[in-house]
Amino acid sequence: MNRFTPFSNAPANLGQYPEIRPKTSCFRKAYIAVMLLVVGRGLEAAARVDPTVRRIFQQLPDGFCLCLGVGPAGPWMVAKKDKKGRLRYLGWQPRAARAHLRLTIKNLASAMRLFTFQESTALAFNYDRFIVEGSLPQALAFMRALDRVEVYLLPKIIARLAVKRYPDNSELPGWKKHLNRIRIYLRAFFPDLIRVIYKNI
Amino acid sequence: MILPEFYDFCSRAKIISGENALEKIPGLLAGLHAGRPLIITDPGVQNAGLVDAVKQAMAGELESAPVYSDVPVDSDYHVVDKIAGVYRENQCDAIIAVGGGSVIDTAKGVNIVVSLGGKTLLDFQGAGAVRKKLNPLVILPTTAGTGSEMTLVAVIADPERREKMFFVSYFLLPDLAVLDARLTRTLPDFITAATAMDALSHACEAWYCLEKNPLSDALAFQAIDLICQNLLYVIQNPEDMQARLALANASTLAGAAFSNSMVGMVHNLGHVTGAVCHVPHGNCMAALLPYGLEYNLHRRGEIISQLLLPLAGPETYAATPRHQRAEKAIALIRQLNQDLHDATGGRHPRFLSEIRDRDGRRLVEKNMLPEIAEKALSDGARVPNPEELLADDAHMVLEHAWEGTPLDRTKIKTG
Repeated sequence: MNRFTPFSNAPANLGQYPEIRPKTSCFRKAYIAVMLLVVGRGLEAAARVDPTVRRIFQQLPDGFCLCLGVGPAGPWMVAKKDKKGRLRYLGWQPRAARAHLRLTIKNLASAMRLFTFQESTALAFNYDRFIVEGSLPQALAFMRALDRVEVYLLPKIIARLAVKRYPDNSELPGWKKHLNRIRIYLRAFFPDLIRVIYKNI
Repeated sequence: MILPEFYDFCSRAKIISGENALEKIPGLLAGLHAGRPLIITDPGVQNAGLVDAVKQAMAGELESAPVYSDVPVDSDYHVVDKIAGVYRENQCDAIIAVGGGSVIDTAKGVNIVVSLGGKTLLDFQGAGAVRKKLNPLVILPTTAGTGSEMTLVAVIADPERREKMFFVSYFLLPDLAVLDARLTRTLPDFITAATAMDALSHACEAWYCLEKNPLSDALAFQAIDLICQNLLYVIQNPEDMQARLALANASTLAGAAFSNSMVGMVHNLGHVTGAVCHVPHGNCMAALLPYGLEYNLHRRGEIISQLLLPLAGPETYAATPRHQRAEKAIALIRQLNQDLHDATGGRHPRFLSEIRDRDGRRLVEKNMLPEIAEKALSDGARVPNPEELLADDAHMVLEHAWEGTPLDRTKIKTG
């Protein structure tokens, strides 16, 4: 048989075969959703506890809304600076508010690389994993805040993979880091989290 | 060679380089189905007679091309909109940009407006807003440094908001870039030096920053090699057309390299210093380049040490012990700045404090450095830099670059 005619024996009823659609891993989607929730709540808490993160968000205009998520169908994380100038995590509904800055990770696989810390945020930007809609300086400011939050939320061995430079004692003294970490965890996950989940459901 | 896990590379402009390259433009424009180009340039280029040379080279084969010659140094979107009106009035069907970075970026902006049919450039701001093929664009660089003829970016000012707008799209790559030594022959020695150092900084940063890839490496290597072999020679022999052409090619190679691997802290600090202090871009790059290499040395030592080969040649590279190559590469760039300073009678600045305007006034004062360091946080070029650069780090680097002293390595935070 001529090896260059592989379709010669193909069945005539090709039209009956269903289109193959890519599968979405529910586990991966759920993992990213949880990570985005942790990041959102962590950002809100860090904006009150850590002076660096607070200053970053102070420089953004009041009412500023940012949306971080995975394209095309989520999951998402929405946060907004309220009238008092405080950052509030609004949940995972992308339509919760009109975003001034939308950072979309292009696909779930890229999001997994980022949130399993195989790639730092900076490297993900360099590898063109993000679509940025909005002001680039504001996106860079958000990235700085995200790096700082990762330092607080993650153990050092993992955070070193997530950020370009893990802050040493001269940048962030150990006692301060641990104290702020406890405060951020307490603020992020205990009193207010139930309110956010209730609102989004 | 480092093969990254992921990279993308696109460089699709046609390059024409060499003697009588200008004469080929009409035929190549005809191939692009265009026959009535608008020439965009600035008063300096017009007064130097370069536009006349271009028109003369094309005479006989192309009907008379209208010229807009009032592009200012810091072009803004009002200028772009105005030139778009001129283009439409004259029923042009292509653009020829003759000039440096400002003219080229303005021409890219005009091409967006006239091709996509908008009233103003503001409608197309951001990354990915330009999604269609634009009209034919021909670029004739008159400085050997900007590399803008190979980049997918246009930077145009918004004077009302006092900020630079970035337009990023693969459709901004020109159809044709023409490198002809006649266009850079009249360039004064100190501008030749500054623009070539700009090209060197493009190539070096493309070589060591996070987005480096095998294709950009190949281009960056050749660019550094050409600059090191020809720059001082051109300063001493400004009429040597072959050496001038080599520098123009180096600039184009470096442009293609950094357009695909991006630049780091040298450009990060340079962009902001330029914006705050109104300093020529090439001068900033020359002063900051050794500091960018020094600052990233602990992360990219091996990669920076490989720069010694194009910078010094194979004999010196082979004769230098491996652990000394990176330091030697940095020392050679400092020495190049010193040689250019001497060859131009002191008009090429070695440090930030030496950058002066035409009246001899210092442009970068020491008290401006904290502001520059703070604003540098908002510049996109800090992302591809291998080492984190926060405001404190930037201030430390700027202080050394201002005084002209080598970095105090103990102050570099390594995490």
